[in-house]
Amino acid sequence: MRESDREAPSPCPSTLLNAFLVALFILLIFIFSFSRLEYDFHWAGVWAYRAKFIRGLGMTLVLSFFSLIVSFLLGSLFALGQKSRFLPFYFFSRFYVEIIRGTPLLVQILVFFYVIADAFRVQNRYVTGVVILSLFAGAYISEIIRAGIDSIGETQLETARSLGLTLFQQYRFIIFPQVFKRILPPLAGQLVSLIKDSSLLSIISVSEFTLNAQEVNAYTYSTLESYLPLAVGYLLITYPISNLSKRLERTFSYET
Amino acid sequence: MKGKVAGIILFVSLLLLGGCGPREENILNVGMELAYPPFEMTDTEGNPTGISVDMAHELGKFLGRPVKIWNISFDGLIPSLKTGKIDIVISSMTITEERSQSVTFSKPYSKAYLALLVSQDSSVEKVEDLNRKGRIIAVKKGTTGHLYAREHFPLARINVFDKESSCVLEVVQKKADCFIYDQMTILTNWQKNRDTTRAILKPFQKDFEYWGMGMRKDDVELHRKVNEFLESFKESGGFDRLAEKYLKEEKDTFEELGIPFFFSP
Repeated sequence: MRESDREAPSPCPSTLLNAFLVALFILLIFIFSFSRLEYDFHWAGVWAYRAKFIRGLGMTLVLSFFSLIVSFLLGSLFALGQKSRFLPFYFFSRFYVEIIRGTPLLVQILVFFYVIADAFRVQNRYVTGVVILSLFAGAYISEIIRAGIDSIGETQLETARSLGLTLFQQYRFIIFPQVFKRILPPLAGQLVSLIKDSSLLSIISVSEFTLNAQEVNAYTYSTLESYLPLAVGYLLITYPISNLSKRLERTFSYET
Repeated sequence: MKGKVAGIILFVSLLLLGGCGPREENILNVGMELAYPPFEMTDTEGNPTGISVDMAHELGKFLGRPVKIWNISFDGLIPSLKTGKIDIVISSMTITEERSQSVTFSKPYSKAYLALLVSQDSSVEKVEDLNRKGRIIAVKKGTTGHLYAREHFPLARINVFDKESSCVLEVVQKKADCFIYDQMTILTNWQKNRDTTRAILKPFQKDFEYWGMGMRKDDVELHRKVNEFLESFKESGGFDRLAEKYLKEEKDTFEELGIPFFFSP
């Protein structure tokens, strides 16, 4: 039986009450802090740039969308690479993961755009941006998937082999269904990070959400007014991902 | 031994507590980003130095208040000012109408002459060539060059960067037609990249951009005094002394080239 059938979709009153209390508590802290703040808010100046914010948000959405897909593909590929018995593929995958995870994204962006992309005559900074982000997140996703595969007990695989399942069948029917559920929470976390990391592309002048907010700050000298909408905007993009991940987790959970 | 360690911990925590406690009333807290030599920079030992730092100390003397310099990055400067953690920002800020809605500026103490660093292969010969479709202009975020480009070259594509070095690299690698910044920066960067870039140093602005010190809108008293200070500092030849101390080499170079120099209030 699936868990989603057991758990009623509509939340019970006590859940609602608790959620309300938590929200109220956090809201009170914010209201208190802002009431203590001696900061002369000046929203009109920033409001004039609302179109700029929306364009930036749109660009971040587009960048994130493509990076999410490509990084997931890269991550899956290199996770298989790390499990591969074909040594060049195995070593390349290990090397890729270690290099990317061990170096700062900032340096990767600069080197990739000004050295590698320049040598290959790729001038489009948006395409380059998606490639860098995907390579970066791909290394982490690869490790998440590999850890998921490794978490499947050896006895299960032995049983599968003794039943005569091929390697493909083992992955298809034994490993993946379990792995998928287990890796969902860290995977969702990684994808959320990816979206926020896209802000670093501003250093190569990719006109995404953060850069636009920084520009508005430079024009108006209204820092908090420029950055608070930024927080709200990122939350609007990242929350659906966390939410979707929780739903999928429920859908793919089996009784063991 | 244990007592010694405990003593040190106590001492350090007291120091930290002292740092968090209410500040001395009379100190003039000056905020700036020490990343724009020779105006705001640090010496080899990490102490703040530069034209703005000297000006801050002169201002302190004028007001009879001890001066403390806070090195704060640009994004933190305005919130620090508005929440009262610092009293004044002296950080080569360009005065604009739009920014005046948020902070009050002093009278101008300097004006910026802009110049162009042009990519060797680019067809740009003069500033009028820039406002066209297909032109790419690199600017440093929040600088006078950025504000100028935004206003005067609406047809060109303006790429905004965090660092001056990125802008120069964009021009060197022909990713941008040109980089707009102050004369001095353009001159030094052109000297470093003579094979790949050209410099157009002749001033082209009709209205100059002026630099001012920033204060809270409600701090009328300080605003008045700062303007008085700038007046008297100018009369006593203070600006010339600072230019002599920090900008001698640049001044001579520009005199040789017969081009007006930019630090002249």
